[in-house]
Amino acid sequence: MTVAIVLLALFGSAWLLAVIEGWITTGRLSPAAPLYSGLAHLGRESIVPRSPDRVFFEAAPVLLMVVAVLGMAVLPLAPDLVIADLGTGGLFINAALAYVLVAVIMAGWGPDGAYAMIGGWRFLGQLIAYSMLIVMPITAVAMRAESLVNTAIVGSQESLWNIVYQPLGFVLFFIAAMALSFRAPFDLPTAEGELGGGVDAEYTGVRLAVLRLARLTLVVTLASTTTVFYLGGWYGPLLPPWVWSLVKTLAVAVSMMLAGRYLPRIREADLMRWCWVLGIPLALVNIIIVGLLILVVP
Amino acid sequence: MSAGQQYLLLLGMALGVVCVVLSLYGLGRAIGPTRQEPGKDVPASSGVLSRDPVWGRYHARYYGYALLFLAFDMEMAFMYPWAVVYKEVGMVALLDMGVFLAILFLGLLYGWSQGAFRRQ
Repeated sequence: MTVAIVLLALFGSAWLLAVIEGWITTGRLSPAAPLYSGLAHLGRESIVPRSPDRVFFEAAPVLLMVVAVLGMAVLPLAPDLVIADLGTGGLFINAALAYVLVAVIMAGWGPDGAYAMIGGWRFLGQLIAYSMLIVMPITAVAMRAESLVNTAIVGSQESLWNIVYQPLGFVLFFIAAMALSFRAPFDLPTAEGELGGGVDAEYTGVRLAVLRLARLTLVVTLASTTTVFYLGGWYGPLLPPWVWSLVKTLAVAVSMMLAGRYLPRIREADLMRWCWVLGIPLALVNIIIVGLLILVVP
Repeated sequence: MSAGQQYLLLLGMALGVVCVVLSLYGLGRAIGPTRQEPGKDVPASSGVLSRDPVWGRYHARYYGYALLFLAFDMEMAFMYPWAVVYKEVGMVALLDMGVFLAILFLGLLYGWSQGAFRRQ
């Protein structure tokens, strides 16, 4: 039952996100457009490139989808509305999200096409940049909650949300989450203008539909992660807990997309340089500040 | 639920997602099969199939970063258990990890001074 509700929330949010994305880009609000688009993809040809690494080519969209769903499985929507409240929840999210890289590299390597290959390698460079900014802020969150259980992490924010307690960590995590979901301005692996779709370039038909759905789901999962770690999860006045979770998740996801719309694409070399020269020292400072705060203000 | 059951549930979900995707593939095939024609399956490269494998043409120039990344990634393996018990142990834990992080940070500074973060 819980599984069904959480999955419904996940894919419902992904659908809403697709509608909003269409609304932002085209100015038309058409709720059925994602469904039509998906159906159209089902009817199109699914071409497999001539000399692919067939296993990688087929595995990539499926793996991305599995990763997004598994990440969501350990995130609570409400105190009792979580599929698996693992003792190592914070770490599990990390471990699951690490496979995003694997999936994208597989999608890049599989078809043996130049654009896809360059997209895959670029995402590897992007990982070296963003990865530390994902894991270090999570450590600071776990320090405050004294636990890696996600419900306990939300519970620790009852009086004060983490976005107020550790704003620096939130900013770093938000940027890193955007980079991890490889949407604009961090859409290096799929850069439409310069790589002709990048890792998407060789995918057609139903495989492309799965890949795109997986990317949207990944955005929802990451927005939900941000909500759980920094925005106090289900806490909020008046409305029932799960509504607050969904509202916050959608707000984060939409702000990610809006931010992407108004920023130019970042070069991989610049991204790596900024993340290492600026981001990682700031993340360490965040850990030290939070450490002192915890000792001073219990 | 015990931990074992939770992991089983997660495994089941992973398999379930795979099954859903496979059934989507089946549906796509049922609606209309793909006709295999010569020339249709050339990867996007101006219509010409490249002679050599394409990975030979792109050089991943971030091995300096990759080495630093390895160091920091190993450090994170220690940070998680440390973070969980941090409040109990208190100031000593902060100092211990501070020394450890300072040494790593020196590595970062050294790499910076040697131009590890410059575009190659």
